Amino acid sequence: MNRRSAVRTLLYIAGGTLVLPACFHESRKATIALANLSVTEADEALLEELVETLVPATDTAGGKELLLHLFVLKMIDDCHSPEDQQAFTKGLATFSSWSQKELGRSFAEAGIDERTALLGKAPDSGDSNLVQFYGLVKRRTIQGYMNSQYVMTNLVKYELVPGRYNGYFPV
Amino acid sequence: MANIAVDSVKDRTFDAIVIGSGASGGWAAKEFTEKGLKTLVLERGRDVVHVKDYPTTNLYPYELEHRGEMTFQDRQLNPIANRCYAYREDSAHFFVKDEEHPYIQDKEFDWLRGYQVGGKSLLWARQTQRWSAYDFEGPARDGFAVDWPIRYNDIAPWYSYVERFVGISGNRDGVATLPDGEFLPAYPLNAAEDHFRKAVDNHYKGRHVISARCAHLSQPQPIHIQQGRVQCQNRTLCQRGCPFGGYFSSNSSTLPWAQKTGNLTLRPFSVVHSILYDKDTGKATGVKIVDTNSKEELEFYAKVIFVNASTLNTNLILLNSTSERFPNGLGNDNGLLGKYVAFHNYTARISAEYDGLLQYKTDGRNPAGGGYIPNFRNVDRQETDFLRGWAAAFGASRQEMRDTNGVGTGLKEGLLTPTLSNWRVHSHMMAETIPKESNQVWLDSDKKDAWGVPMLHISVAYDDSDWQRRQDYYDRMTEMYETAGFTNIQTMDDNRRPGNDIHEMGGVRMGHDPKTSLVNKWHQLHLCKNVYVTDGACMTSTATQNPTLTYMAFTARAVDHAVNELKKGDL
Repeated sequence: MNRRSAVRTLLYIAGGTLVLPACFHESRKATIALANLSVTEADEALLEELVETLVPATDTAGGKELLLHLFVLKMIDDCHSPEDQQAFTKGLATFSSWSQKELGRSFAEAGIDERTALLGKAPDSGDSNLVQFYGLVKRRTIQGYMNSQYVMTNLVKYELVPGRYNGYFPV
Repeated sequence: MANIAVDSVKDRTFDAIVIGSGASGGWAAKEFTEKGLKTLVLERGRDVVHVKDYPTTNLYPYELEHRGEMTFQDRQLNPIANRCYAYREDSAHFFVKDEEHPYIQDKEFDWLRGYQVGGKSLLWARQTQRWSAYDFEGPARDGFAVDWPIRYNDIAPWYSYVERFVGISGNRDGVATLPDGEFLPAYPLNAAEDHFRKAVDNHYKGRHVISARCAHLSQPQPIHIQQGRVQCQNRTLCQRGCPFGGYFSSNSSTLPWAQKTGNLTLRPFSVVHSILYDKDTGKATGVKIVDTNSKEELEFYAKVIFVNASTLNTNLILLNSTSERFPNGLGNDNGLLGKYVAFHNYTARISAEYDGLLQYKTDGRNPAGGGYIPNFRNVDRQETDFLRGWAAAFGASRQEMRDTNGVGTGLKEGLLTPTLSNWRVHSHMMAETIPKESNQVWLDSDKKDAWGVPMLHISVAYDDSDWQRRQDYYDRMTEMYETAGFTNIQTMDDNRRPGNDIHEMGGVRMGHDPKTSLVNKWHQLHLCKNVYVTDGACMTSTATQNPTLTYMAFTARAVDHAVNELKKGDL
């Protein structure tokens, strides 16, 4: 992808999230085009809350602002096997009902501390689909975060042109 | 009409034709055009103009749609390409897609190809080591393959000639098994690599750990600036094509140089079908190509033809160049064309940790990759049950460890406040393989590709001696690691297929005797003297060195010979 189409995609994604909530919710579909995954608007909203809980906004940007949920969807849609994709879709539903049961209300309605504590329990939930789903989402969220323009230009700077090498650099 | 036909033939007639525009073809182009010969370079793929056609070269990781990863669909469609370490989202456009160019694997073989102007010189690992006297003497001493018709001293001046133009960084290490060259300053070893060097030096006679020698401009000289190349900027994004010309490729170096002479005609989209032979003169007259855009068949003519199509495609073209005189392929009276194909065995790695020198880390990136251990096995005498030996790459780095265990602010903090690991050291093996008649390629009698060229069968495999060499690598390296105080030593079998090393060689081997070899000491086909083979196809044995530097030196030497022969009227 060249720079122009990358920018175009980014604007499209950003525009989509800004505009859609204000629309009439007619499509009930995810805000980005997906070739393989079948994801509803509600699924996307849940995933958005999930990535925001994993990487919350503090004095620096969090998952929601960085659109990490869309990154997760994009990667699972394009780079994973059909089996992984099924596990993801099923896992999203499993996560929704599991969190409802554990929290007594929907994930989005719960407070941030409750949600954080809940995610901490996911790996030990005993539900293999949930564990796989959570692992997948967490791995892709971390990847999206660390490889985001925001992090790579502000927090962990990526150097495209280092122009140097020192093998005895003092720690 | 007759005049038009004559003019058309004239337009399609050159002094020299070079088939292929990769590292060796680019050198043939440079040498011929500099010596004043009108030269046609035929490239089967598209044109790739230096800088202009490097679409990903300046992209940040977040500008790559999948952050460098290949899609699931691509991995399904192109399993061969996807097994190559360098096939990534930022470089995939320089690789052949499996489906577009099929071949027949009688045994599993990963044939990795770059069909574009510049070929694989855009993608190579840029490691450049000279062969030594021991390597050229190997087959004769150990009784395998056939004797090389040349020795180190024949090629040494041509190594120098090529190195000065290409730009090779390295130290003058004074190691007999890896002769020194014309070097730019080396990329120094880092603290842990240097520690290993000293430990090995102190403990072993004849074993060396040196800075890897590579085709990067650590300190460009006037000859490099004249090529439009500047100092390597340590990006280590080389497979995207380098806008600085920091590493050598045909695109950044030899082809634009040839272009400047006014003597070069570069013709992309030209698949060579075969070489044309005239039995009356006993010479090749030209080549038949298929234009991949128009599907038109065309003939081009020249006094001398260099075949630099890459090892297996060079075999393919010669096998497909049949005539009444040569029904089994050009120059193939002995039936050995396509046989004795060999490669490098890359199937072993060793990792470990080192807890010393923690006051240092690395800063920036090392384009050379780290250290290199020249072969030290069976050098002066046969000392093992297996023939020949292995070389190894060696490197060390400290990783930024990020704690991914938490959730929320804890996770964020873990990701943004890395801790530095101890030194992680790693090595991989590059072992010689012994050419065998049974490791061979041939043409299918029915199946043809989209251009009417017969499909290639490949039947190349490891043998038991390859696993003996691997065990020796594990044993010796483990002992050397222990000597250096490394811990947690792990050996790892890497079950890659032959070909994945991208060092396929042979099939048109050099030798003294037309009965047992295809090309002579000047790289001429014994039986058709105006056809030269100077890419990997001419290799009689493989040694352990990365081979590209040797192909380039062979090419410069062979062009010099061809031009002298033309002057004498002998071609």
